[in-house]
Amino acid sequence: MARFSVPTKARLPSSLRVDSSNPAVIKSLGRLSREALISLAISWLDGDTIANAVPYLERRDDEDEVDPDDIYPPCGSVQELYELYVDMQQQKGSKRDVANRILEGDWRHGLSLYQLAMVDFYYLEEHPMSQKWTAYKILPLKTPTKDADDEILQVDDKALNVPRFHPSTFLQSLQDQVLPDIKAHYHFHRPKDLSVLLLRIFVIESPYNSSLALSSVTGSGSSTNFTSSRTVYLAFPDGSSHIYITKSQANGPSAMGESKSLQNLIIHGVPKALSRPRERYTLKPTSLTSRNLETLLDKRGPGRGNAAGGGWSIYASEKNKKSPLDAILPSPPLSRDSSLSDQNRKRVIPLNSDQRSAKRAKLVAQARFGDSGLIADGKGIERVDVLLKDPFPTPAAAENQGLEEEQANAPNEASVSARRRTIDAVLRQAADGDDEESNEPGNPSQWQPTVQITFQGNHVFAGIRQLVEAGIVDGERMPGWMTGEDGVTIGVVKHGRIRGNKGSGL
Amino acid sequence: MDPSADELQVNPLDEEIASLKKQGKSSGPRVSIALRITSHHTHSPKLTAILLNTVAHLRKTLKIECSTILSSPSIKDVLVASLNPQPTPKSAALRPRKPRKSTDRDEHLLLTRSKQQEAYNQQCLYRICASVTAFKVHDPDPNAVDGGHVLGLRFEVMTRGQFLQPYYVMLNRPYPNSSKALRIHRHTVPPAIPLPGLAARHLPAPKQQSGSDSSIPLPKQDLERFVKSLRREIMRYHNRLGVSADLRRSLGAHSQAAADGSSIPPNAIVDVSIADTEAKQIRLTWADERNGRLVMDDDGKVVKFMVFGAEGRDWETTKQLTESQGRVEDVAKMLEEYAAGRDS
Repeated sequence: MARFSVPTKARLPSSLRVDSSNPAVIKSLGRLSREALISLAISWLDGDTIANAVPYLERRDDEDEVDPDDIYPPCGSVQELYELYVDMQQQKGSKRDVANRILEGDWRHGLSLYQLAMVDFYYLEEHPMSQKWTAYKILPLKTPTKDADDEILQVDDKALNVPRFHPSTFLQSLQDQVLPDIKAHYHFHRPKDLSVLLLRIFVIESPYNSSLALSSVTGSGSSTNFTSSRTVYLAFPDGSSHIYITKSQANGPSAMGESKSLQNLIIHGVPKALSRPRERYTLKPTSLTSRNLETLLDKRGPGRGNAAGGGWSIYASEKNKKSPLDAILPSPPLSRDSSLSDQNRKRVIPLNSDQRSAKRAKLVAQARFGDSGLIADGKGIERVDVLLKDPFPTPAAAENQGLEEEQANAPNEASVSARRRTIDAVLRQAADGDDEESNEPGNPSQWQPTVQITFQGNHVFAGIRQLVEAGIVDGERMPGWMTGEDGVTIGVVKHGRIRGNKGSGL
Repeated sequence: MDPSADELQVNPLDEEIASLKKQGKSSGPRVSIALRITSHHTHSPKLTAILLNTVAHLRKTLKIECSTILSSPSIKDVLVASLNPQPTPKSAALRPRKPRKSTDRDEHLLLTRSKQQEAYNQQCLYRICASVTAFKVHDPDPNAVDGGHVLGLRFEVMTRGQFLQPYYVMLNRPYPNSSKALRIHRHTVPPAIPLPGLAARHLPAPKQQSGSDSSIPLPKQDLERFVKSLRREIMRYHNRLGVSADLRRSLGAHSQAAADGSSIPPNAIVDVSIADTEAKQIRLTWADERNGRLVMDDDGKVVKFMVFGAEGRDWETTKQLTESQGRVEDVAKMLEEYAAGRDS
């Protein structure tokens, strides 16, 4: 351990240990399952990582001082410990045992920041929905003119270069952006089944990067600086010029503004870290927030589905791939059974009107949603907020619309105010960016109430699709934003379309 | 057939099915064989799987034959003729009293089907001959601009002699003032292609009627140039992907050896991967843990090439490999020679 602690700008080293009695450490280990804990311990003892996760081993020279009360006697070698954990994998037991063994036995001298980062990523893999990701688009900026120092750079919409991301260079320049009184620890991780690179940033307020940073001596002596720490995750999808950022999480109680400022720090720091000389970038929010990384990869990822949601997804899906050399007439949807022998066809009982309308509703749903919005596709969005800015429909048209609203919001919850603020921000933004649409003077005779609709559920658009299939929502008159084809989770509807999405938002 | 004979016959039948599967071709009589087997041996899952396979294959063959027959001009003539007969009273009288309606309906169905087939054949032909084709789509959104009229563009991509799934770009006309101006509505182009930039260059949004500044020329939209440049970008992207795939294939023999655990020469490349969004950079990994980066420009010319060893830049190898500053393919050849050369 370093005897002196000098204030520095460097990052926190991975091998820095946090006391294992720290409640935050105990809590984060307690969230994992037994299997995860054991495989985590095994991976710590593996060749490459052991330098950052040194276990507490029995020392040869003080063999006579074996503590008889020790429940977890230290092992003699790493190999021995490794085998012990492999054996544990076969046995049954409680998760408490493993967690206690790690905390009070083999890593009683503390867990390194590296280990804590791995714990968090294991938790993220076990609970992929535990983080709320917001997608940002990386946009190139115009190169500054020669002698203007403080000009605000415009987004260069004619640029043809696609931003590139190089992890280690990015980290170096991100570290340069970090203020000297804040220390951060970075850890990259690539999940097994998703094509993203995750970066965990653990931030602590301290001028030191030694163990002093984690255990600042305050009045009570034992309290750690750990409670003021924040964790933020960034996700870099492969082959896509987007970036997903989570909201920062505090280990202890914190003021609202504090976590927001960290969020801002990152949102401002990330584009600078991505930029290179003569190549500057900025981040632009894309109104898509979800807990589901797979959804984000589908809507803001490397594939074809970025600007082809809803019914347009048939053009993006691999299922409808048809080579022009194959001259078989493609069968229209829902006609798969009709290709059976014609004996079957003749035996078909003519559908009654209910069945016919049900079949029709299914066809309409297929037309409007394409291959999207299926319950089992794992691309659920759990919340969609929409603000309607259209004049109130005449009573005749109104009765058809009443059913479409799953939950119209009334401002009576505490959380509404925060949400309202976000909506307002989006509104302002939409009004600012309103340059191509002529602002026609609102007809004063039309009543224009502010109606906000919130859809909530496991998979919002699959739910709407089911409503269409059940005939509850009229699929033909349903507006396009209800199919999710705009790929946003927050938006303002004007003229029946999500604002700014007349096209694909290009 | 009694059950005991059934059991005995399993083997010959199995063989027959296998041979039938191997032949792949099938015609009328074989269908009946397959169906007969189904009725007797549904209990064996393996057999059922084979049968299902055969049935699927037969169904496909049937479809191909159907579409071939339907698209033949003579069949069409017959269909048209049978629908518009010059009904002489005599022939009507001679006809047996059959419900004429159903045959009529069937012929109508056949004719529409034949027409669809013809249209589809034409579409396929255009798609084969021209790499960019246009079509019309109707936007199902009831609030869609311009009555839901959408122009679709289809960009064909080929790799190794096969048509891949095409890329689509949908355009609509949202501007109320200038009715001709187009805007990208939806598309399936991956983010590796700078579609927004191309759209901003060639399909700029028409200015609002601010009126006063008539000195500035109105931005003109040029759909043709947009399509041309977009197609070029798509082709370049796919060619770059193809180059790295070729490189992986030509050098990838060693990665299998590595998986087997057999010894590999230290100069052999064990991994080739694409390192950026646009597939302009290729990451190379040698067996002795050296790393390389290859950067190419739009046209596949190598711009930068570097090798990192255990102790920083490996200038020697870099120099050795960059003697022929040329196309990626040349470098790939050099790499191959390098891998083979030193260890022999």
